[in-house]
Amino acid sequence: MNALRLRTGDSGKLTTLVLFLPPALVLFSLFVILPVGEAAWYSGFNWNGFGKPTNWIGLDNYRFVFANKAFATAFRNNLLIIAVSLLVQLPLALALAIILTDRFRGAVALRLVFFLPYILAEIATGLIFSFVYDGDYGLLAAIYRLFGAEAPHLLASSSTAFPAILLVVVWKYFGFHMMLFIAALQGMDRSMVEAAKIDGASRWQLLRYVVIPTLYPTIRLSVFFAIVGSLQLFDLVMPLTRGGPADSSHTMVSFLYNFGVTRMRVGFGSAVGVILFVICITFAFGYKRWIMRDE
Amino acid sequence: MSEEAPTVPFSEDGWSPAAFAKVAFLGIVFLFVAIPLIATLLGGLKSLGELRTNPFGLPQVWEWENYAGILGSKRYWQLLFNSLVIASLTVAITLAVAAMAAFTFAHIHFFGSKMLLNYFTIGLLFPSATAILPMFIKVRDLGLLDSYLGVVLPQVAFALAMSILLLRRFFRDLPSELLEAALVDGCSYINFFRYVTLPLSRPILSTVGTITFVHSWNAYLIPLVMLNSDSLYPWPLGIMVYQGEYSTEWHLILAFITLTILPTILLFLFAQKHIVAGLTAGSVKG
Amino acid sequence: MEHMFRTMVVAAALALSTGLAAAQATVRWLHIEANPAQVKIWEEVARDFEAKNPGVKVEMQYLENEAYKAKAPTLLQSRDRPHIIYSWAGGVLKAQVEAGVLEDITVQVAGFKDTLSPSAVAAFTIGGKIYGLPHTVSQVGFMANKELLAKAGVDAAKVLNWDDLLDAVRKLKASGITPIAVGGADKWPVHFYWTGLAGRIGGKAAFDAALKGDGGGFEGEVFQKSGELFKQLVDLQPFQNGFLGFKSQQAIGHFGDGKAAMILAISSFYHTQKVFAADKVGISDDKLAWINIPVVAGGKGEATDTLGGVNGWLITKGAPKEAVDFVKHFISPDVQKRLAGGNYLIPTVKGAETGLGSPFMRNIAQNIAASKYHQNFWDQDLGPSVGRVVNDATAELAGGTMTPRQVAKAIQDAFKQGN
Repeated sequence: MNALRLRTGDSGKLTTLVLFLPPALVLFSLFVILPVGEAAWYSGFNWNGFGKPTNWIGLDNYRFVFANKAFATAFRNNLLIIAVSLLVQLPLALALAIILTDRFRGAVALRLVFFLPYILAEIATGLIFSFVYDGDYGLLAAIYRLFGAEAPHLLASSSTAFPAILLVVVWKYFGFHMMLFIAALQGMDRSMVEAAKIDGASRWQLLRYVVIPTLYPTIRLSVFFAIVGSLQLFDLVMPLTRGGPADSSHTMVSFLYNFGVTRMRVGFGSAVGVILFVICITFAFGYKRWIMRDE
Repeated sequence: MSEEAPTVPFSEDGWSPAAFAKVAFLGIVFLFVAIPLIATLLGGLKSLGELRTNPFGLPQVWEWENYAGILGSKRYWQLLFNSLVIASLTVAITLAVAAMAAFTFAHIHFFGSKMLLNYFTIGLLFPSATAILPMFIKVRDLGLLDSYLGVVLPQVAFALAMSILLLRRFFRDLPSELLEAALVDGCSYINFFRYVTLPLSRPILSTVGTITFVHSWNAYLIPLVMLNSDSLYPWPLGIMVYQGEYSTEWHLILAFITLTILPTILLFLFAQKHIVAGLTAGSVKG
Repeated sequence: MEHMFRTMVVAAALALSTGLAAAQATVRWLHIEANPAQVKIWEEVARDFEAKNPGVKVEMQYLENEAYKAKAPTLLQSRDRPHIIYSWAGGVLKAQVEAGVLEDITVQVAGFKDTLSPSAVAAFTIGGKIYGLPHTVSQVGFMANKELLAKAGVDAAKVLNWDDLLDAVRKLKASGITPIAVGGADKWPVHFYWTGLAGRIGGKAAFDAALKGDGGGFEGEVFQKSGELFKQLVDLQPFQNGFLGFKSQQAIGHFGDGKAAMILAISSFYHTQKVFAADKVGISDDKLAWINIPVVAGGKGEATDTLGGVNGWLITKGAPKEAVDFVKHFISPDVQKRLAGGNYLIPTVKGAETGLGSPFMRNIAQNIAASKYHQNFWDQDLGPSVGRVVNDATAELAGGTMTPRQVAKAIQDAFKQGN
């Protein structure tokens, strides 16, 4: 771009700007940015969404949210998803990626099969697993019957409902992370591996000192996605438990839906939204600054 | 998904205990993934009674009418039609709007360009659920509740950030000589966009289109909040209603699930390269 | 050319206007009735209305009960909202009136309303204005399977106070019978226990006092005690396996299948227990007993007090006047007698209760007629937010994750928040 072309009107540059930018800008501002600002404003009101908000109650909604037992559970559940993503899903995905980057018969087919759950809708996945877990007709019930035992209703007990959801989370998302790792492994510089092999490195050493370190950026990325994903988990919860039994399996988003949207408590729900927003933004910037700083 | 990688760190020859362990591990994960899916597919071919006694095996009596009944119902096609309309509109508008914006970010220097790009990047950082109530009120005030557009526009808005970043990077990587030459020849930016950039960008457009389509096709929360008439419901909403109606008639629900995820699976098989590339491309920072 | 164009425009306009004249006021009617047998009759009633009113079309829309409650607040804000919607009256209705989404139909139903039970009409009157019309009332109590009770040596007629009920549960458990089915996933079936007991312990006075914030409000003694009594029951583990995962319909079906001896029911379950039973037959009349909510020793509530619903149809803002006409038709003596004859509901039209087919339903009608204090379902009466908290908290009590004290506090907190 040289100075010559900075003259306005040259080749319709200004026209292009005026025509090309506003649609995106308007849509994005109207439906993404503005609502966040409005959420912050509405969260100061006790408002059922009709007319204009008038009943200003300051920070009370935030107090109500933090005093709400179900919200505390939802928050804890979100942390649990993150924990399972990091401790179970990530190692599983990594191990599978390392195996399946190998060229052998069926490897490509297996990659696709493992990736398949990721593209299924959460709703369909949730329904499939509500069948799997069903105490009367489900697969689990059949396995119990095989051993002559009566099946537990996993989704109907406060202590087992959320762990059951966690298993579905792993089922659904490990393939995505596996694909990330496979992409990274395929792009990896092989000369280092060869060199290490010549130096007589054992397979474990190779893994520990060569492969994994080169995957660090991808691992950090995978962790990022796992955490962001956990913060927005909703669709899976609805068909499985709707947050029940007794509000034991909510995530923050399903809490927002059930306690904010369906009750049209706009102020309260907006406060939950703002809290979620602050968590997401703080995490994203913090992560970028502290964890991904070298990239 | 290239097959040409010649060697990989852990390729081994022959059979060893480690190889056995590997195969066993893969086998277990395969069963973990496949059994729920296969049981769903087959479950739709059984009677409710048989589902209870024989949930895993092939049906003893193949109940094709579970599937036939759904395929013959207006309801099923209506749901798919609605999903198709919503997803197609979302893709079309997203591509048009994002490509235009990405083009300006890629090729036109203007004051605040970088700031504006960062502004769009914020959209990547939080889910649409955070501001769903104000968004609902906005859509209501625009008179768009219970219409396709009421779902499409918010979906487009939330797809913009990622789309603009991906497209911009691709546009910038196109040889810059092209633009310079075109401008010298008196071609306008708009014509260049239309006749050069877009045709050259088919791969990235189809990638972005595919991601957007899959997200919209599977979306639940925004349609749930914005739509009221079941004549407009996309399939994720419709299937939840169906499940509510037939709560324990699992054979029907399983058949319905199978038929509604079938299009996704077919699309996946045909366009797997785009999908895998697209969905994992989201990972590459813009 | 221009002339031709003009002719075409005029022709088109004519076609359009005549088209409009021949068609069509379309009345969109949103219901939540899940019983196919009853829906079939309703459809016939709608077709009948269309036949009598040429040019009017009645379009039925269905939402499942829970989906409707979750959807209603957003649904009502849409321009294309249905014209007629289902209602349980109470605080939820009041909130909808305040939100301005309902039509005042006082004038249109001026004479008609006198054909209905005055107390039911009163439930749909807010600030002197009528916003809807009731078509049925109901009572909450235990529906029981005499055969199963007999196996455990329990006589339904002798279950009168709370201790009798606890005793019956113990006996049933000892005989290996699931004492009670409940749809814990939907939560509201659970709140009947807590609110039913509160009514027995404190009566109308306690409820009114709590609304005024007197005596500690819903955290007061009466409500603590109802939680404790309910806890006594919960501790006996009286419910079916996995009850917190059962939707109400599933629980009703469970009872209809003879898998549980009792269910704390709305009287309309009389019909739905047949429909949701696996064999579509359910428990036959001769085996079915009704037990009023047991009284509590020393309680201030009258034995004749009833807990139950008043259900009807609201007309939403901007609905065509035909919507009101249709509701009137729906609550006409003929239709009410027909539905009563099929035992689908306790009618609100005066005199239509004589059409009730079964002794079971006649008994319910008598209970309600004899009641001096018919308390509406609390989860509706207390308004959309507080009512839901009553459901949330009592479900947690049943699940053992909240204590009676915490339940009372959660409800009082929600009441104070008014949000």
